[in-house]
Amino acid sequence: MSLLKLIRGKYETVSIVGMAKNVGKTMTLNHLIGEAIDESVVVGITSIGRDGESLDLVTETEKPKIFVEEGTLVATTSDMLLLGDAKIEIISVTDYRTPLGSIIIGRVKDSGYVQIGGPQTVKETREVANIMLELGAEFVIIDGALDRISSAAPSVSEGTILSTGATLSRNVNKVIEETLHVVNLLKLPEIKDEKARPLIEEIIGSGKVCLINEDYEIQPLKVRTALSCGNIIGDHISEDTKYVVVSGSLVKNTIEDMIKTTRKYKDVKIIISDGTKVFIKPKDWLRFQRYGVKIEVLNSIELVAITTNPYAPQGYYFDPREFLEKMKGYVKEVPVIDVVLGGE
Amino acid sequence: MAIIETEKVDLTKVKPYGDTMNDGMMQLGFTLPVPDGDEAVEAAKQLLKKMGLNEPSVVYHKDLGIGYTYFVAYGKCQHTVDYSKIEVPKVEVDTMSKEEVQEYIAENIKREVVVVGACTGTDAHTVGIDAIMNMKGYAGHFGLERYEGMEAVNMGSQVPNEELVAKAIELNADAILVSQVVTQKDVHIPNLTELVELLEAEGLRDKIVLCCGGPRLSHELAKELGYDAGFGTGSFAEDVASFIVTEIVNRDLI
Repeated sequence: MSLLKLIRGKYETVSIVGMAKNVGKTMTLNHLIGEAIDESVVVGITSIGRDGESLDLVTETEKPKIFVEEGTLVATTSDMLLLGDAKIEIISVTDYRTPLGSIIIGRVKDSGYVQIGGPQTVKETREVANIMLELGAEFVIIDGALDRISSAAPSVSEGTILSTGATLSRNVNKVIEETLHVVNLLKLPEIKDEKARPLIEEIIGSGKVCLINEDYEIQPLKVRTALSCGNIIGDHISEDTKYVVVSGSLVKNTIEDMIKTTRKYKDVKIIISDGTKVFIKPKDWLRFQRYGVKIEVLNSIELVAITTNPYAPQGYYFDPREFLEKMKGYVKEVPVIDVVLGGE
Repeated sequence: MAIIETEKVDLTKVKPYGDTMNDGMMQLGFTLPVPDGDEAVEAAKQLLKKMGLNEPSVVYHKDLGIGYTYFVAYGKCQHTVDYSKIEVPKVEVDTMSKEEVQEYIAENIKREVVVVGACTGTDAHTVGIDAIMNMKGYAGHFGLERYEGMEAVNMGSQVPNEELVAKAIELNADAILVSQVVTQKDVHIPNLTELVELLEAEGLRDKIVLCCGGPRLSHELAKELGYDAGFGTGSFAEDVASFIVTEIVNRDLI
């Protein structure tokens, strides 16, 4: 199955996010770049972390390098630009600053290896992606960092590839459990209520925490964040409250405190912007679902594919095909691919 | 009469020094979860070979009492590093003195700079954050609490990320400092990324100068984690303060 086919014509920005370090994000990136080279598709590449260095800073494992062909657009830092051997024409030096120099946007003139490191915030990453689209990239790949998933937010990228792998646990079932949790978060159901959607959009745009009642009246809460304010939210939920709209993050304690303060938490839907705003571990998530907590999102994330890496740098591995098939068995609606195995 | 080693070091191919230049000799101490015996010694030797150490020899081994064995071993390292090509990125800021920082705030920012700091997650070791923030400071360098024009809030140890973010929102913080000192099993990595992710989710990341510090953090790693700066060992309050105030001005966060 071709990743390129899943992306081409559908998405202009694609993020690759990983469940952890060493799950094969860069392998996935390279696979996608390779497919783009074969089809002569011009892509833009940037990263919210750091890519293409030969040794990992944390685990000191060997990492795949990134090879780019002539025409490819890259956004990387000035320090990292010097570390590659591809010849790159500098198109612009931006004001986005990172610990490793300013972000530079360039076009590859002579193929070779590059190191990629983009801006430090996802908002700036999106802006950099837009510049590359204007310069003629058919689509832009935003590579992730470590276990960060914020670049999957629909405000940053239109489609997302999730990489997972054996490094998460020696127990294959645990790897699947954790991956499914993130898949569930990314694919949280969108709120269908057409009357409420514009109201929710406005609330999330304003960054507030608000309640919406059955008559679609908005009641803003006098809090600046939902963090540490679950009890205040709970106190304000009344008989006719329909939705609790939380603009920022949704953490375990917020829900815990809501449940403690009111029994009516079962009668409302909690609405958040998207699945990247949830910070709840799989066990707590299942517990909240049993309690009857309902969570929906304004925008669901387009999960393009899941890639599996059966090898862990800790020194163990799963049977590649078995791991792939097992993951496929659990994830029906999203293509699951092992880019090394290829096939199908 | 002592014989003095006269062979010159080749910095492009540096190798461990045992008792002669470039002999590659290394001493290792480690434990294997196997009972003491000939098999244990052989296991230790095989491991050394796999690590790229030639002529491994186990000079000491002792049963630790629970079927584990401790080893002291020697081997000759076959690898070299090019010392002359090593470059370690460091925070690029002209460090100002405490007085200069205060003056800089008064002239350029013209309001109080709010800094919230904490030792987050499971980490209970506040030496780092205390050295930077507490009034008495460290080694003659006063901490941020003593700076005029700066409101420094040290939340202490084992602070959950969400409480740190909630505090930063409550105080309209300009900068967040996170310290990670004891970091078994790389627990500092997911802990630090969770904080960035929370700030992104709260829409705050753009509005805050985000710094991390600790013995296992570097400026280079900060880039990968999504932080604005990483301060390793040997950084003082002045370095951190200078970075924060210049970053506030450069990023137009006044």
